[in-house]
Amino acid sequence: MADPIPPARDHVAGHEPEARPGVPRWVKVFVVIAIVAIVTVVIINLAGGGDHGPGRHMSGSGADGTTAALSIAGATVVGGHRSPPAGHTS
Amino acid sequence: MASRPRLRRFALMAHVVSSVGWLGAVIIVLALAFTGLSSDDPQTLRGVYLAMDLTAWSVLVPLALASLLTGILQALGTKWGLFRHYWVVVKLLITAFATVVLLLYTQTLDHLASVAAQTTLSEEDLGALQTPSVVLHSAIALLLLLVATALAVFKPAGLTAYGWRKQHEQRAPRPAVDSAS
Repeated sequence: MADPIPPARDHVAGHEPEARPGVPRWVKVFVVIAIVAIVTVVIINLAGGGDHGPGRHMSGSGADGTTAALSIAGATVVGGHRSPPAGHTS
Repeated sequence: MASRPRLRRFALMAHVVSSVGWLGAVIIVLALAFTGLSSDDPQTLRGVYLAMDLTAWSVLVPLALASLLTGILQALGTKWGLFRHYWVVVKLLITAFATVVLLLYTQTLDHLASVAAQTTLSEEDLGALQTPSVVLHSAIALLLLLVATALAVFKPAGLTAYGWRKQHEQRAPRPAVDSAS
């Protein structure tokens, strides 16, 4: 960002433009893409119930009262689909 | 507000290091997120989300704030200015947006890490840890940071109204100094 500013980037040196140049095309494209992205995110959020936060990823584990539990240390699932470690016959 | 060359180079180095470091940390988080999404091994998931949360607080957030701060100082300390060129404005908006979203998203990462840290996980917990959310957020962050990097490298032309006015003021012939005054 500290590079010297090339004088010929925005206008021809020694020939001052009369009117201010308009918004560059790349800025317009960027703004359109940003608006489309924002609208898409809003629509997805609204379609998904509008909950966009940590609570969205969890929905009350164990709320159904099942005994499904998994021990990380033993890699054992009770009532689940994971294979038990060697030596276990649950 | 032009600063001395040596100080300016130091500020530029700080900005480049923090920005590139941020980009690299996002790539690491993206790799962890892909691992978390594709793995169903509870120990792997536990390691992934604990490492991700640690990375967020100890690397991502400090580097994001440093990148934003040094970028603003860098712009103000050079003739580029903060609001004179469109590419600087857009880059500032991208960096500020990415930083704010990151700060908000640390709540989600904290939550996922707290779930992963539990000794016992239910099937529902495991399913929640295999969320595509982190992949999505880190992929978008990577895209935004790559766009910001491209803007800094290519510096596409375009003066804002403020920049054009300032340039006109600087190039306007100064009034002759009255020798009698």
